[in-house]
Amino acid sequence: MALRMWASSTANALKISCASKPYLSLSRCFSTVLDGLKYAESHEWVKHEGSVATIGITDHAQDHLGEVVFVELPEPGGSVSKGKGFGAVESVKATSDINSPISGEIVEVNSKLSEAPGMINSSPYEEGWMIKVKPSSPSELESLMGSKEYTKFCEEEDASH
Amino acid sequence: MRGPLKLEVWKMGFVNYLDALKLQEKLVSDRKLCRIPDTLLSLQHPPTYTLGKRRTDHNLLIPASELKNIGAELHYTQRGGDITFHGPHQAILYPIISLREIGLGARNYVEKLESTMIELSSLYGVKACAGQKGETGVWVGERKIGAIGVRISHGITSHGLAFNIDPELKYFKHIVPCGITDKEVTSLRRETSTMLPSEEVIHEQLISCFARLFGYNTVVWKENPSILSDHEEIA
Repeated sequence: MALRMWASSTANALKISCASKPYLSLSRCFSTVLDGLKYAESHEWVKHEGSVATIGITDHAQDHLGEVVFVELPEPGGSVSKGKGFGAVESVKATSDINSPISGEIVEVNSKLSEAPGMINSSPYEEGWMIKVKPSSPSELESLMGSKEYTKFCEEEDASH
Repeated sequence: MRGPLKLEVWKMGFVNYLDALKLQEKLVSDRKLCRIPDTLLSLQHPPTYTLGKRRTDHNLLIPASELKNIGAELHYTQRGGDITFHGPHQAILYPIISLREIGLGARNYVEKLESTMIELSSLYGVKACAGQKGETGVWVGERKIGAIGVRISHGITSHGLAFNIDPELKYFKHIVPCGITDKEVTSLRRETSTMLPSEEVIHEQLISCFARLFGYNTVVWKENPSILSDHEEIA
């Protein structure tokens, strides 16, 4: 407990987001959390730019999944609903559902991921993006977490182990 | 610090694959709604080949139409992993647990499933280890003794692990097991010089290893749980 508090206060002093178990080696600790994105409790991120929202999974998520070897994504033109699954990834012989943080119409899908699923691990916020959506209820974005909230959420989730 | 963790274990004997799948789907839904605690199904299947989400049926080496002749079924599933075989004398565990509540990701969860089988093997003096990168599972040297294939939906697990106590290994000749060529499949019977107790004892040991590794303080046993199946438990 004391070590966790020390690590948190050290992280705060260094202004670093610490989103993992602090009692592991600190160099292993930090998942990247980007400002300006919104986050769901199921570890997906949303980047809202104009009329389009891009969705992917976070650095914390890809780290906890392990090496992604397969990605299943929907077709463009389909729709997604907040909290419902839209696809899946496979890593370490486990398929994990990916859930959409918002509702809307799918306007683009990252087809590169079928050939290079590992981009989700190496570039979760950029080349590893999964779908682009036209949000049908923009107010849904407000109920998602900001970067600070999500960082704290990850810390608490990892600490419960 | 999390509170006390309860595991409910269903000892089910022989269960047809599809019946087990339907049961898991129901339990996943119940667990997601917190109607049930973390639940562990312990069972065996009649001879059954299964494929994962990637549908790697090029790894089935005989025509699907011939499977009936060898007394086996084939099922496509949503789990991770490649093709595998399940059959009598193979201990199967299907944990239906909430990974979010215990703070585990897929990678850590699978590692703990590997550890469960590694620990069980060590009870019989068998030195098993986790696979190299990309070869999830449990190995004794170059021979595979335990397989894993998991599905995680809204943080709830289904499918799980299969540990070879003494299955009929010739069934594995009809597939490229787990998509890995040139590696043998083995069993506890083959690897240990220790006398094996009854399979029921080994199943209970496997369950205990699981419960201990996952930190369950309370284990509740449910004998002869009801399931929609015509199959009777075979002793």
